[in-house]
Amino acid sequence: MTDSIISLSGVHKDYVSGPELVHALIDVNLEIAQGESVAIIGQSGSGKSTLMNILGCLDRPTAGVYKLGGIDVTESSADERALVRNRLIGFVFQGFNLLPRTSALENVELPLVYRGVSRRRRRELAAAALEKVGLADRAGHNPSQLSGGQQQRVAIARALVTESPVLLADEPTGNLDSRTSLEVLALLQTLVADQGISLVLVTHEDQIARCASRILTVSDGRVQRDEPNPEILDAAELRAEMG
Amino acid sequence: MNSLLTALRLAFRAITRSALRSALTALGILVGVASVAIVVSLGRAATEQVGSRIQSLGSNVIYVFNRSVAKSGARGAAGTGGGLTEGDARAIAREVPSVSQVTVYSDVGMQVSSSFENTRTKVVGADVNYFDVRGYTINGGRNWTPSEELTRAKVCLIGTTAAGALFENMDPIGQTLRVGKHPYRVIGTLASKGQSPFGTDQDDRIVMPIGSFRARVAPSPGRRVEMIMASAPPGSESAAVRDMEALMSQRHHIAEGAEADFRVRSQAGFQKRQAEVLNILSVLLLSVAAIALFVGGVGVMNIMLVSVTERKREIGIRMAIGARASDIRAQFLAEAAAIALFGGVLGLALAGGLTFALSAALGWDLQLSRDAILTGLATSVVTGLLFGIWPAARAASLEPIEALRHE
Repeated sequence: MTDSIISLSGVHKDYVSGPELVHALIDVNLEIAQGESVAIIGQSGSGKSTLMNILGCLDRPTAGVYKLGGIDVTESSADERALVRNRLIGFVFQGFNLLPRTSALENVELPLVYRGVSRRRRRELAAAALEKVGLADRAGHNPSQLSGGQQQRVAIARALVTESPVLLADEPTGNLDSRTSLEVLALLQTLVADQGISLVLVTHEDQIARCASRILTVSDGRVQRDEPNPEILDAAELRAEMG
Repeated sequence: MNSLLTALRLAFRAITRSALRSALTALGILVGVASVAIVVSLGRAATEQVGSRIQSLGSNVIYVFNRSVAKSGARGAAGTGGGLTEGDARAIAREVPSVSQVTVYSDVGMQVSSSFENTRTKVVGADVNYFDVRGYTINGGRNWTPSEELTRAKVCLIGTTAAGALFENMDPIGQTLRVGKHPYRVIGTLASKGQSPFGTDQDDRIVMPIGSFRARVAPSPGRRVEMIMASAPPGSESAAVRDMEALMSQRHHIAEGAEADFRVRSQAGFQKRQAEVLNILSVLLLSVAAIALFVGGVGVMNIMLVSVTERKREIGIRMAIGARASDIRAQFLAEAAAIALFGGVLGLALAGGLTFALSAALGWDLQLSRDAILTGLATSVVTGLLFGIWPAARAASLEPIEALRHE
């Protein structure tokens, strides 16, 4: 696969926890193509969060090579990684991770601040991104004035605004009820379909994983199964059925 | 430039969010900057003021004062029971070549009346050189003549303050005023000189020949006078002081090393003293400033360390979406500088109030100068940056995952 946006080969991650050496990831090989949606499923402690951190350039592998968009980021410096995170990756976290006491619009602007985009242009792009997630009318609200689902949509807008090719969603529905979860998933599915974004979705729920086109099962630091999802769930439809 | 603006905007936001905390933190900086600004203003204004007032005494004047030497060792007030005489003044004029002009001086404060008003003023007895030596300009009428001096004529010259009190808007020249029982004719007026460095009004006086003064105003045995003043050309003051001291010691039979009954002081001596007082004041204020700025700086550092800990998650989020360590560092440095600047601005306000009060109290034209404002602002920003370095470095050194994990 030459058009892989994400390419891991022989990735190991060890860390020391007290007296023990923990093998969090063992020989992970993974290719994700542009426009693919991949769910990573596993129990807590399986290594899926470590994998997510490495994919997000928040952590470095102990061994192996990680190429993101064709760039080897394994040995890159902290500043280079910051640049890669800014340009190539959008993050959606379980806990939303919006800045408190900061309006939705300004939260969405944030990645552009570090990209050196002018204030006016930032405003425009952030407003457009909020529009895409259906929150144009909430631009001036602070996170504390928004529901969980709305906060997660602001976070998605923040990931979108940079037009990064990769969206990493770490338990994006973990703090949401099932209706809101489906709404957020539907939004993510739309983005993959319409914008050709590669989505990596970490979850421990089967139903959510089945919204992706490919499902990776991680346990004990290894990718145990990696198979296409024969029957992709349409989150929007499921949501509609719930009424 | 863009990122600097952003950092400043963020800093401003952080400050307004916790205004009370910022204000308390900035208190030390406030005191420090106020002190610095006052030192700068005071230093400048005082140098100018004292300089110009000492000039107003007359250029390069050397004073010989009486000094009472009591056998018991206790010393009386200056000018009491002294032994300076007109003869001393003449001897100085005759024998000290580095001196250009000499005058004697005695004064007494007393009631003086015109046909309209009466007022209490200073009546001075001097000789004809007095106005030159002290730098008075006779702007109307004339000085007395040597013969008027010899004949103890009842003539006088009058300063603007005394003239105003006695004659209001009338031209005093040719008018008569009474000092004690005797009438004196006003033959000249003196241009205004303002206050002396000792705070006395140099225009509130009536000056007459020393002979007239001694004959009718304040008789003194042995032609004693309170003071002798001499002017020396620029550059020869120290020689004049030395020569005058030597001559006077000889005339007054003062043994080497013994305490003299007179004291010779040059204008430079006054200036030096004033400068010393100002230096002490400046050193004191600067010490206060240094301590306050240090305490203030530590306060800023403390609040910034707290802020870094409280906002770990925010730092993590910023890093995750692309902030470099240098962006985070700039943000926290700007915040520290902004808190300090906030204190600095308050400090300048305080300094402005204090200089206003001081100038009212001292009668100086003291203002918060542009230099003082700039120095104050720069001091606060530098303090903030200096004490912000460590907290900012701590924030920047956080690992993104660690910081994100923080609740």
